[in-house]
Amino acid sequence: MSGERILVVIPAYREEATVGGVVTAVRAAGFDCVVVDDGSPDRTTDVARAAGAVVLRLAVNLGVGAALRCGFRYADSHGYDGVVQCDADGQHPPEAIVRLIEAAREHDAHLVIGSRFTNDSGRFDLPRGRRLVMRTLSFLVARAGHVRVRDTSSGFRYIGRPLLGEFARTYPAQYLGDTVEALVAAGRAGYRVVEVPADLLPRAGGEASARPLRAMLLTARVAITVIFGIGVRLAPAAATVPALTTTRDRRNSDR
Amino acid sequence: MKQGLLIAVGGLALLLLTAALARRRLLSLRYALGWVGVSMFVVAAAILTPLVTPLAEQFSMTGTAVFLAAASAVLVLVCIQLSITVSGLHAQLRDVIESNALLEARLVAVEDSARRDDGAP
Repeated sequence: MSGERILVVIPAYREEATVGGVVTAVRAAGFDCVVVDDGSPDRTTDVARAAGAVVLRLAVNLGVGAALRCGFRYADSHGYDGVVQCDADGQHPPEAIVRLIEAAREHDAHLVIGSRFTNDSGRFDLPRGRRLVMRTLSFLVARAGHVRVRDTSSGFRYIGRPLLGEFARTYPAQYLGDTVEALVAAGRAGYRVVEVPADLLPRAGGEASARPLRAMLLTARVAITVIFGIGVRLAPAAATVPALTTTRDRRNSDR
Repeated sequence: MKQGLLIAVGGLALLLLTAALARRRLLSLRYALGWVGVSMFVVAAAILTPLVTPLAEQFSMTGTAVFLAAASAVLVLVCIQLSITVSGLHAQLRDVIESNALLEARLVAVEDSARRDDGAP
């Protein structure tokens, strides 16, 4: 890992059945791990803490975006170089975390999206309606954020500095805001975004929280937010320091 | 005349309701003053409705319709102001809850460290 300090942030809501296994796997892979319990009424906090994670327990359910920002604030204040966010349901294998970090280094990227749609495994098939929504969101992100990403709502991402500091300061709280709106904000501010293939495993347990009608309304809301440019605004990438300090960057800064 | 009287009674009822809520501390002074302003506006409008009738007729409206339009506009402004306040409070609440979670994590870390220093398992 070339001395970089990476923190794995796992937002969790009612994931007592799976979060312990995910934390154990992440720690076994050699990463520090923070679980942000988004006001779960079950034993998510206890299970995650017993598995060895630092737990940030939100007293009220605020949504995944707020949970992630809390994790980013923790990473920022503890001097981590980057964050990998992954789900608490065991869908993101720990070995894929390494691939995200390597992709960030290879492309000198601030934001790496682990995509469900750029691999050939064929493991992740979507219903036609949802695929249309995904294509629409992808089109909106490309137009508004100047970023070409197929899997705009992927919850498996690497975020490096200085974008991490910006996300710790301001991050969309609502469903899809934390993915689509954050992508647009990063793209507009000039941060480098890349998308790499990531295999998605079946859920290890628990239940998916998606409700079709609510998801449709929230998709419409995020579309309005993106189209009218009323989402969060980040400091321009040019005004900050490079994403990953490579040997070349260090040489340049020494001159 | 009867319309004006009815509207004035409505304005006074709003004034009394505001005073009662403020006395029970269900309304902060800031919002109580705002609703007192609205009720005074209603009473004043009831008195002034006959005076605006000639002007309203030029737009094919009655004086009461002009008054209701003005009242609606005031209420829209009040709602917008309240929406701004609620949005701000929501953002502040989110900050506080996140900060609370971060503080709790620090406390747990300090307690764990102290326990280890004491030689506890």
